[in-house]
Amino acid sequence: MVERVDAVAADERTLDQFLKNVERRALRMAELATANREEALDVVQDAMCGFVRHYANKPPAEWTPLFYRVLDNRLNDWHRRRQVRSRWLFSWSRSTDDDEADAIAEAPDANDPGPLLRLAGREAAAALEAALARLPARQRQAFLLRVWEGLDVAATAKAMGCSEGSVKTHLSRALAALRRALEEYA
Amino acid sequence: MNTNRLPPWTEDARRLLEASAQELDAATLSRLNRARQAALAQRRPRPARAWFLSAGLASACAMLVAVAVVWHAPESAHMKGGAAPTESAIGAGDLDIVAAEDGLEFYQDLDFYAWLDAQNPDGNG
Repeated sequence: MVERVDAVAADERTLDQFLKNVERRALRMAELATANREEALDVVQDAMCGFVRHYANKPPAEWTPLFYRVLDNRLNDWHRRRQVRSRWLFSWSRSTDDDEADAIAEAPDANDPGPLLRLAGREAAAALEAALARLPARQRQAFLLRVWEGLDVAATAKAMGCSEGSVKTHLSRALAALRRALEEYA
Repeated sequence: MNTNRLPPWTEDARRLLEASAQELDAATLSRLNRARQAALAQRRPRPARAWFLSAGLASACAMLVAVAVVWHAPESAHMKGGAAPTESAIGAGDLDIVAAEDGLEFYQDLDFYAWLDAQNPDGNG
């Protein structure tokens, strides 16, 4: 009985540590998607509850893509609700269609310092955030999961609920669009 | 573009994003902490307190009703000038009927006796 209680407590500590590790990034990702911190906090809390309810019993090695999958679903729900509200209150909100024409950039020069180094400190952070906020949702998500969260293509595909090929396409477009936006900013 | 290998400038982007996550204010961090605790609380077994509370309340109500019945029954029987309070208070007569097997059979045939009585209103057999 005591061993069982200890095991449950250890599980909870592992889960707590996992959520603590992802919560800040999750909040910033939700904030980039919703452009509102309060809404983002609600979405993240929802995602944490949903993740614990449905996936906490899965092996910890699988948690990261599963958590972001739940977060993605919650963000999609949020966007759907917002679109319905917008339809009633105003008119159609800005389209976030991924299929819009979006040229795939050429491979970058390895010696190129990159668009962010031409900007300094907070200016670079603001520029990056603005550029990310303008990206279509799927492209932004692919970029954040691959670049920030450090997931590989397979785990990103699991988190986004799509094929690895789609992840590569979204990421390629995201990198090209961000590079263009940041160069314009500089 | 080979997206398995990320271009070098994305490392700068990662650093900037990480810095933005580390700069969250205390109020936001507190909200995140509460959200995390609320999520974790779902896994803990629900305390039986609420169940015990309602069961205890129901028991207390039942006892209160029982005490009230015992308390008021002798008074009302006494006021009516009926049988001795000890008998009527707990329905001792009813208990006798229920306890006696013969009595039960008699009461099961009560309709028959009523009909028999109606056949001979004078009671002369």
